[in-house]
Amino acid sequence: MDDRGRRVEFLAEGLRRAAALIAGGDPDLFGSAALSLRVAGAATVIACGLGIPAGFALAGRRFWGRRAALVLVNTALAVPTVVVGLVLYGLLSRRGPLGGLEWLYTWQAIVVGDVLLALPIAVALSAAAVEGVDPRVRRTALTLGAGRWRTAWTVAREARFALMAVVTAAFGQVVAEVGAAMIVGGNIRGETRTLTTAVALGTAQGDFGLALALGLVLLALALAVNAALQVLQGRGRD
Amino acid sequence: MIELRDVRHRYGGRVVLDLPAFALPAGARVAIVGHNGAGKSTLLRLLALLEAPTEGAVLIDGRAVAGRAIGRARRRVTLVEQRPILLRGTVRDNLAYGLAARGVRGAARERAVAGAAERLGVTPLLGRRRAELSDGEVQRVAVARALAAGPDVLLLDEPASSADRAAVLALHDALERERAERGLTVCLASHQLEDAYRWSDDLRTLADGRLSPVTPENLFRVILPADAVEGVKHVRVGRTEIAVLTERTGHAILAVPPTDILVSAVPLATSARNQLSGHVARVARVRPGGGVHVTADVGVELTAVVTEEAVRELALAPGRPVVCTFKASAVRVF
Repeated sequence: MDDRGRRVEFLAEGLRRAAALIAGGDPDLFGSAALSLRVAGAATVIACGLGIPAGFALAGRRFWGRRAALVLVNTALAVPTVVVGLVLYGLLSRRGPLGGLEWLYTWQAIVVGDVLLALPIAVALSAAAVEGVDPRVRRTALTLGAGRWRTAWTVAREARFALMAVVTAAFGQVVAEVGAAMIVGGNIRGETRTLTTAVALGTAQGDFGLALALGLVLLALALAVNAALQVLQGRGRD
Repeated sequence: MIELRDVRHRYGGRVVLDLPAFALPAGARVAIVGHNGAGKSTLLRLLALLEAPTEGAVLIDGRAVAGRAIGRARRRVTLVEQRPILLRGTVRDNLAYGLAARGVRGAARERAVAGAAERLGVTPLLGRRRAELSDGEVQRVAVARALAAGPDVLLLDEPASSADRAAVLALHDALERERAERGLTVCLASHQLEDAYRWSDDLRTLADGRLSPVTPENLFRVILPADAVEGVKHVRVGRTEIAVLTERTGHAILAVPPTDILVSAVPLATSARNQLSGHVARVARVRPGGGVHVTADVGVELTAVVTEEAVRELALAPGRPVVCTFKASAVRVF
């Protein structure tokens, strides 16, 4: 077999093994997938739960320090995931200020890391989503006698597609994240090994087939979540 | 009922509204006229408590509205914007919005929605969504939505801008009924004088953010020169020139009161410094007993108020040559 043939065979072998692992319901593979889904789901819910109201506040009100807050949020968007992992490691390690929680190398630590990463996305994108809503919507709600919450809900309904995109982007960020999960999760088999950290490990150990299988499951997961959100968007049309 | 006191409102440092006093008495029917950019929409937003004035206060029933009271006060004053927007959902949802915000539920809400829809002739539209409505229909629905909420004061910004004649009349009738039944205060902004005259019994003119001391016709934005000959300045207005007695220089508004303009068929031998020749453009009877408004094109459109007798004697009709005469001292500067 020539050099080119060997390369093709290497890829084909990887795909065959990946298919076999998926078809065989490999417990490690699907355990990592379930953990990834749980961690990313929890982190997305928390980050959006905190970030979207914060985005509303940033976009809807003029207050002292608003511009500085926006700069801070936009800067946080560019922070590398390993830096977040490193800072969180410092906080959660036995000698760190939050060491008493004993969360280091647990899935909760990964959730915290993912929330820190997704929060700026949720805040910045939801602020942009609210700013994109026709200002007459807010004025109309207010002049018809709506209070603060009803007005915010009315604006949110108008911005629903953009807010859905916020959730999608936040989920995409955390489900694909590897740096922080590796540092604070520790990549412990059956406990903190997510799809992404397992891909990194599989590749490092030369198990290309496993890494490929994990990658495919990760893609399928992202596709399924995005498709579900698209269906929801379709139902929400005027 | 609602008033502005010592209000100076700025956008980016520029004063856009300067109103030492402005009040809408309960049950009044007020029209605010002025050119585009005169400050009409800003004034309505301040009255609707959607913007806080940079300086001064908004008072309702003599009490300054601030802090938590703003939310409560907004339930008494509703604004329909020039280009209103319908909220998500059906027309019925929109009409119910203000009622839901006031905690009105069930059959009472249904009745109020049906009543407002019937008054504005939008009952057939109740099941439709905003994408299925024309601009005129959106405007009618917006007024019905505002009325359904039952405010004490209704503010309308250019209500006739995208409505046809029949819709305007239906709107007029609905407002009259509300006024008769429950003393609704109505304040509308318009750049169309005839509409404003027809709708209101209290006409106020806004020019560059300030209330004009005279009627709204014949207002001209000018730059007054420093040079004067024996106190009289000649200012270019349209294709003509107006002589004005003033010491002011720079940006100003000139107002020529319609009752101070003499209309004649030929030039008169008088002391008046302004004698402008042209032809009649329009003849309108805007209000019974209010004289006849004759608008002449004399290089710029000037409106004079004359009697029916004068119209007959001079045979004033569109196209008829006329001369408009007024004194330099009759021109108001502000």
